[in-house]
Amino acid sequence: MSSTATTNQGAHKSPNPFSWLTENTLHGMARRKALLGYLFLAPTILGILIFTAGPVIFSFVLSLFRWNVFSPPEWIGAVNYTRMFTDSRALTGFWNSFVFVLFAVALQVALGLLLAMILQTRMPMWLRYTYRTSFLLPMLMSGAATAIVLGYMLHKEFGAVNYYLGLLGIPQIPWLTQPGWAMVSVIMSYLWLATGFTMILFIGGLNNISAEILDAADVDGAQGLTRFWHITLPLVSPTLLFAAVTGVIGGLQVFDLPYIMTRGGPGDSTRTAVMVMYESAFKNMEIGYGSTIAVVLFLIILAVTAGQFGLSKRWVFYQ
Amino acid sequence: MSTQQPNRLSRRDFLRWSGATAAVLAVAACAPSTPAPQSGADAGAAPSAEKIVLRMQVNPEQEKPVVDMYRAINPNVDFEFVSVTGIDHEEVAAKILTLVASGQALDLGYAATEATQLYAGQKLAAPIDEWVKRDAAELQEYFADVHPSLIQAMMWEGSLYQLPIDFNAANMYYNVAVLQEAGVEAPKTDWTKDDFYNIAKAATKKNASGATETYGYAWTNRLWGGWMPWIFVNDSNLLVEEEAPGGEWLWGQFYADDPAAQGRGGGWRWTAPKANDPANVEALEFLVQLHEEGITPAIELGGGDTLQGFFTTGKLAMTPAGGFWAGGLNNAGMPNGSFDVQLMPKWKNQRHQFGTAGQWIFADGKNKDAAWDYMKFRISKDAMMANGMFNPVTLTTPTRRSMLTAERFAETGPANWQVFYATLDDHPDTAPIPAPPVSNPMTATFVAYTSRAMNGEMTPQAALDGMQKDLEDLYARTPNMYTRSS
Repeated sequence: MSSTATTNQGAHKSPNPFSWLTENTLHGMARRKALLGYLFLAPTILGILIFTAGPVIFSFVLSLFRWNVFSPPEWIGAVNYTRMFTDSRALTGFWNSFVFVLFAVALQVALGLLLAMILQTRMPMWLRYTYRTSFLLPMLMSGAATAIVLGYMLHKEFGAVNYYLGLLGIPQIPWLTQPGWAMVSVIMSYLWLATGFTMILFIGGLNNISAEILDAADVDGAQGLTRFWHITLPLVSPTLLFAAVTGVIGGLQVFDLPYIMTRGGPGDSTRTAVMVMYESAFKNMEIGYGSTIAVVLFLIILAVTAGQFGLSKRWVFYQ
Repeated sequence: MSTQQPNRLSRRDFLRWSGATAAVLAVAACAPSTPAPQSGADAGAAPSAEKIVLRMQVNPEQEKPVVDMYRAINPNVDFEFVSVTGIDHEEVAAKILTLVASGQALDLGYAATEATQLYAGQKLAAPIDEWVKRDAAELQEYFADVHPSLIQAMMWEGSLYQLPIDFNAANMYYNVAVLQEAGVEAPKTDWTKDDFYNIAKAATKKNASGATETYGYAWTNRLWGGWMPWIFVNDSNLLVEEEAPGGEWLWGQFYADDPAAQGRGGGWRWTAPKANDPANVEALEFLVQLHEEGITPAIELGGGDTLQGFFTTGKLAMTPAGGFWAGGLNNAGMPNGSFDVQLMPKWKNQRHQFGTAGQWIFADGKNKDAAWDYMKFRISKDAMMANGMFNPVTLTTPTRRSMLTAERFAETGPANWQVFYATLDDHPDTAPIPAPPVSNPMTATFVAYTSRAMNGEMTPQAALDGMQKDLEDLYARTPNMYTRSS
């Protein structure tokens, strides 16, 4: 006690601004420990603030201005927002993004799970690896390169796809030149690229299912669809949630495939929200308006993701 | 033992301060950027012994011979090539704008009609009037060799911004073998829209199952050379066009004796949309009719590569294209004589549309005088002859009349190469594609509604009504496009 008293008296004589940190007490030790923790966290938090939160805040601020980069920004309040909600092209972009997500993510998850389950069936190891590698390979491809090649393959007159369909007596399909087919083509291309990743997720999820549970299901006579609905699906539901959340986030941000394959056409039939954002901001140099679309898209993604997590409490089962 | 916790660093405090820091950063980022100080009144006026590096947007391969020639007489000038590529002119312009927005201004850019007013209107490009007046004696020969309509297309509100190097008017290319097989004669100079229709219909060939094997006509959905040529020959335009005042200094100095220059102003103004003009509706209805009759395939986007594939494999009889196609067809294996070219057919008139291109000087460039010196060198006859755009294969049409010779096209064709410059000489009312400062969003609207009409989603009238409304909105958002601030 006496030594502490002496130290405190000394502090009164010459105030140490870091005494709260350097004092040799339990609180001082706890503060030093906390500071060390924050120091370790600081790079990550600063990174998030500067590279994630900063741009989000900046985009929101920009959305309240009219700015073409070359002239000073002009404050216009919510004008960009009112314009967006009456801009048929922007609304079409959002609608197309929703349609894309609805079909692309549902199919991506379903196909990924199906492929994973097929690969879990009894087969020679070399065959399993061959299939797994084949399904995963497209994931390694550049989206832009894929879009160019698939664009040629799906060409109505010259494309390989219509050529082989023609050999089967199927008339030429306007894959990229009719609105409905164009969206189908973009979704199919996305599936070709993305399903492999989902399959790998589900292989991991299926491998995590306890063998005892499956054995117990067998003993209880659960087979086929019954076993799938009541045993497998609930047990891979965490993986399903992850695949759905990442799929929806990625799907709402889709850009490269429709931009290269169809340029958003025919008309605006495959123009997504991100394409409208890019074209507004960087082709038309309406940075404020582009930011408005970015902010609204961000809020939509946030709401949808929160909704997915909220609903997940009802159907996701953690072992 | 004290129970007080002075200056406690709580998690909440830490996050609060971090958030405040981010907000300050964001606000700071919103502040208008201050232009970097220029070194000297005009940094271009550097001493000749001092090394100058010109940052230039070019195709390095094509530019190298010219740069080598220039460096032989100007060893103090180095070049940094910046290759900016894109699917179309709009994408290239978007990348240039993004470069500038990020503070990476170049010294020299290369722009076609699609972007001339975009750059001039944003004051990214520097007018070259003073340099042209100063070096008038040297430039007299160049202007005497270049049609005034090409020069006028490079003007903005009375000032000149570019010296055009190449141009392309949309003429009609035809596959000789396909026309011969169809039993129709090659089109003549004075052919009409009805002649065109008959030839296209005759050349269209279907197989037993009804699938089209050869199309009579095809085009790419874009601003230049899409269905715009049909708008022009139907005596209309997408936008209301008028000539800007000014330019007398140029016409009086360089074109005083040229009748084709009489009455020309200081560039073009496209002051309002007229997309749903009855003549435009009629033109689009004609193209929809061709598609419905199976004479044309579904329209394509992009640069026309697909059409080149159609054409070279004998699946296409005719398509609108410029001089640039001749070299491309030859490179694709079509020998001289297997294709040829003619003027667009006459409808209400035979006015053509063209696009032209040349270098421009960045207003914020650090070496503007040096940039002008290179720009001037680049349009000299020797430099143009050496340019990879025209040598060894003519990949686009040179703006110099004297460079369009039989010798130039002897190996590649087309036989009727004279048509390229005759488009300008015989039809001096031929004009640039409409490309106001808002040409990027305008083109996007044009392409989207064209596509809707062509795929049957909308009638031509409805599509052009929609286009008109969107263009009116665009013009309303960008008033005073042609009001030049001092």
